[in-house]
Amino acid sequence: MERIVICRCEDITEDEVLAAIHNGATTMEELKRVLRVGMGPCQGRTCGPLIRSMLARELGEPVHAIREWSRRPPLKPVPAGTFFRGEES
Amino acid sequence: MSVLTCDVAVIGAGIIGTATARYLSARGSDVVVIDRSYMGSGSTGRCIGGLRHQFSTAPSIRLMKESIRIFSQMEDEFGHSVEFHQGGYLLLAHDNDMADTFRANIRIQRAEGVNVSLLDPVEIHSLVPELNIHGVVAGAWCPDDGQAFPFAVLKGFRSLIEKAGGRFLLRNPVKEIRRPSHFELILADGTRVEAPQVLLAAGPWTRELALPIGLDLPLAPERHEAMITERMPRFLEPMLVDYRPDGCYFQQMLTGQVIGCYTPVPTVPGIREDISFEFLPQLAWRMTRLVPPLRNAAILRHWAGCYTMTPDGNPILDRTPVDGLFVASGMCGHGFMFGPAMGRHMADFILDGEWGMDFSEFALDRDFSPGAETLK
Repeated sequence: MERIVICRCEDITEDEVLAAIHNGATTMEELKRVLRVGMGPCQGRTCGPLIRSMLARELGEPVHAIREWSRRPPLKPVPAGTFFRGEES
Repeated sequence: MSVLTCDVAVIGAGIIGTATARYLSARGSDVVVIDRSYMGSGSTGRCIGGLRHQFSTAPSIRLMKESIRIFSQMEDEFGHSVEFHQGGYLLLAHDNDMADTFRANIRIQRAEGVNVSLLDPVEIHSLVPELNIHGVVAGAWCPDDGQAFPFAVLKGFRSLIEKAGGRFLLRNPVKEIRRPSHFELILADGTRVEAPQVLLAAGPWTRELALPIGLDLPLAPERHEAMITERMPRFLEPMLVDYRPDGCYFQQMLTGQVIGCYTPVPTVPGIREDISFEFLPQLAWRMTRLVPPLRNAAILRHWAGCYTMTPDGNPILDRTPVDGLFVASGMCGHGFMFGPAMGRHMADFILDGEWGMDFSEFALDRDFSPGAETLK
């Protein structure tokens, strides 16, 4: 069977996302927490829109009705050292 | 309006409510688990997943021995991994007072059969070569401590509960608790759940749920923050806990991410999931001071969740003055690790009316003056 990867960072497939939705997930937030989609280095830039449209399709709602997941700082990967450079080391 | 009847209604689908429901249903009880959002959406899903035996009183240590045993069997029981891994906890003392606290605790822990020892800086260095031992006086080391992934644990419990006939009502907050003779819980969508017994296991929301029925539980939610890095090759086995006032704690997950927190001083009271500007610079500095190679670790994300505190730092696990109403909350940041064993004992207590072990330090009518638990 064809293996369609939805979240490349965490290697989560379309089947896994669909299974979670069919298991009762109704929000992007829940899918993210349960599957870790969108939790890798790209922070959901790639899979976010895909998952949003999958969720809309499965729930029979328009895409704009699906709330996006929360964006968490620092938004892109930042080395720990960068945060305190100039303060103390 | 739909009406559901059951033996026990559990409010809160976090680890405590779900674990209790799992053991209730295993004993043939008909349970309904209710949550305002999805499973683990409160404190459980925001925690960093650490499990430790290293507490300072016998009841907590016994609970944790049982809990970690349950965690270790979950993969067989559930048929899926819960990312359980025993990489150990290494607690670090940078002064003699803290080292003395460790010594006293280790005596108690060993008496309970926990494999724990006090390490000197040389031994600490050989255990974690990346650790900067400058200023370290001693370490308390338990190789049997570890970690697990909260959502995998909840998923496993849920399928066992549903297999036993239990039901979940998620994304449906309890709006009102009535008590004509039995309990009637009115949910946001109008559903009415009727049960002779109710367990309040709603973490930070427990106090506000209990207030309208005349119970003022000594529970105080406060905000804690956490961060996670990108996945890296595994290099750090134990959870490191730096007990300095400006310390922190972090571990590398089985999946490679380093996940960590520090205890905010002063505390940030309230049910809050917003985040602060100072957290990431502070934690980055604190963890890099302890493990310098982490300077290059890319931080991905930063979030917050609640600890539900009690005045003495111990949970509340008891019946309440309202007949048939039970409470399991005030986990003080230890709910995920205590959850499986606590759920089992709570289920027995609800069904049998008595505890299988001495739970007086978790009683609702205890003296709450700050006390025995020395390890936050």
